[in-house]
Amino acid sequence: MSDTPRILIVEDDIEAAEALSEAVRDLGAEPIVMRNYADGLKAAGLAEFKVIVFDRMLPGGDGIDAIAKIRAAGSTALVLVVSALGRAANKIEGLEKGADDYLAKPFDGDELRARLRALLRRQDMVVLDNDLITFGDLQIRMKARTVHVRNAHVPVSPKEFELITFFARNAGEVVTRTQLLENVWNLHFDPQTNVVDVHVGRLRRKLEQAAGHPVIHTDRGVGYVFDPQGSVVG
Amino acid sequence: MSLIRKGALSGEAAPIPIHVNFDAPRPGAGMSRPRRSLAGSAALRVMLIVAGGIIFLSLGAMALQYRITARALEARQAEVLAADLTGFAQVYDQRRIPGLREAVEARAAITPPDSGLYLLQDRSGAVLAGNLEGWPPGAVPDGALFAATPAQDLTLPGGAAFRGVARELPGGFPFLAARSWAPVTETLRELRRTILWVAIGLSALALLAGWLVARAVVGRIGRLNSLADRVAEGELSARLPGVRSGDEFGALESHFHAMLDRIEALNRATHRLSDAIAHELRTPLNRIRQRLDRIEGQEDDVAAIRADMAGTIRMFDSLLDISSAEAASGQRPGLVPVNLSEIAAEVFELYEPLAEDKGLNAEAQISPEAWVLGERNLLAQVISNLLDNAIKYTEAGDRIILTLEPQGKRHLLSVSDSGPGLSEELRATVFDRFTRGADQQSVAGHGLGLALVQAIATRHGAALSLPNTQKGFRIEIAWPRLSRP
Repeated sequence: MSDTPRILIVEDDIEAAEALSEAVRDLGAEPIVMRNYADGLKAAGLAEFKVIVFDRMLPGGDGIDAIAKIRAAGSTALVLVVSALGRAANKIEGLEKGADDYLAKPFDGDELRARLRALLRRQDMVVLDNDLITFGDLQIRMKARTVHVRNAHVPVSPKEFELITFFARNAGEVVTRTQLLENVWNLHFDPQTNVVDVHVGRLRRKLEQAAGHPVIHTDRGVGYVFDPQGSVVG
Repeated sequence: MSLIRKGALSGEAAPIPIHVNFDAPRPGAGMSRPRRSLAGSAALRVMLIVAGGIIFLSLGAMALQYRITARALEARQAEVLAADLTGFAQVYDQRRIPGLREAVEARAAITPPDSGLYLLQDRSGAVLAGNLEGWPPGAVPDGALFAATPAQDLTLPGGAAFRGVARELPGGFPFLAARSWAPVTETLRELRRTILWVAIGLSALALLAGWLVARAVVGRIGRLNSLADRVAEGELSARLPGVRSGDEFGALESHFHAMLDRIEALNRATHRLSDAIAHELRTPLNRIRQRLDRIEGQEDDVAAIRADMAGTIRMFDSLLDISSAEAASGQRPGLVPVNLSEIAAEVFELYEPLAEDKGLNAEAQISPEAWVLGERNLLAQVISNLLDNAIKYTEAGDRIILTLEPQGKRHLLSVSDSGPGLSEELRATVFDRFTRGADQQSVAGHGLGLALVQAIATRHGAALSLPNTQKGFRIEIAWPRLSRP
């Protein structure tokens, strides 16, 4: 019981709450659903949660106003805002007010799972301050900002290096295009063309060439999985 | 689509300015309050009118006083002369020339030649009596005996002025009696000097009075004007401090405040409405989306529905983004100093591989440290939309150039390509919402990209133009420059 991470969901729309709970269960966590702002805020203070999913236009208040209160109450939970206020300006506002991630409605189930997984992982992860991150024969040297496969240097552009470090932090998990655009490029709008694909494609080719096997896999239109050791490929 | 710019069909030289309101006041780097010229200022006019009125009236009064004084002085001198002449007439009546000679002698003895002139000569011109050595040049005998008129002005060779009578008495005796005019001119000169000083002092006081009146009247209007300026700059909640006075100005201020309260309320209602629309539309869309995820089989149909939903939301977001950028136009809140060079380089770098894969020749010439007051995400979106368009509408082998360079008080960002460019009819409407080329229906999009670019540019006080090019498409956006923070 104590091993099951708990995720608080504060959402008034039943359908959305159901979809959120399902995603949480899919990740092996326990969903707890609250239907309004006050109950959500109270619940956040009563138990320990890994992640809190907050809606914005809730009966009784706006989820992003709750973030500061939750933090002030000493909770270490990461906050994912899932809201119908889904424009770039709303997202930036949410992130500036302390949300750890922001997902617009209507959301894709896979996108939601990817975001939640990334947050759960971030909660578990000790700060990556080691200089060297190793995945089998693939090495990422943080200070030198270089990538090596079997001690052979793989030339990557600065952006590609940022891409690979983001992948590395979420190794084995699905990472969506939107996540990459937001985290690697710090852009919060939806470009009409899938520009991210081209960048990932280039990095993937470089790594595959150097490693002799696929390192970044495409996950049926949802996003990508960084899996240098080929352990999770299904 | 109609041919709006028929006249511009053959013109190739002049850039077509886009219908952005560039003249609107812009704060800071680009947005300054409208300056009212001093000459055109009502305060100056009121001040000058009040001061002019005071000066005109007081100068008039002083001129009148001057005339009265001058007349009185002249009359006094004339009286003295008349009294002399009366005395001489009496003596002449009784004792003729010998008596007159004695009387003139006596008068001349007690009169210095600078206050009065007396002269009696005989037929040959020899002086019989008087304080003059000879007949003064210019004095022409005129009139009869000792009448006070006609009198004449005399000027001695030394320059001293006199007024008196010159006569030829019966028997051919030239006779002259005149009083010095110096006391009159002296006094009047003194008076004029006094009037000059008083006038100078009075003008200064009048200007001061005018300024005080102007300040009292126009200052009240100035307060309202600066309030209106602040509101125009986007500070909708700006109000005048203090209490309203009971006069017409107070009433005007109250009306102004009531009007602003109403605008603010409407503005808030609009914001709430767009949030409500977002909520009311996205919540059911989200339910559809979640149910869609539970449908098994028919993968292609489900994917198509998902793509359509995403497209609808993107369009809907763009419309909301356009209207919120338009609503925020000219407002400083939300804008921070950002390095446009960095943003341009990042977005170019994002698109470069895409262009390369399409066989395009993409190039960026970005001068560093182009600081502007802006919102990073919006600026990035502008550049992204422009590059996205350029890549969409060009073919392999075409060129795309992104430049950013300082130009006067602005940073000029341009994106040009060697693609097919725009037809003249499209040029006129390209920034309107939902404008798409008739031959471009195959290219994905809603025709909102450039409308959003324009709205964001306007929100940043930037000037947008489509210069004519020999070939292809070129767009220029001049962002107000910010000196490095």
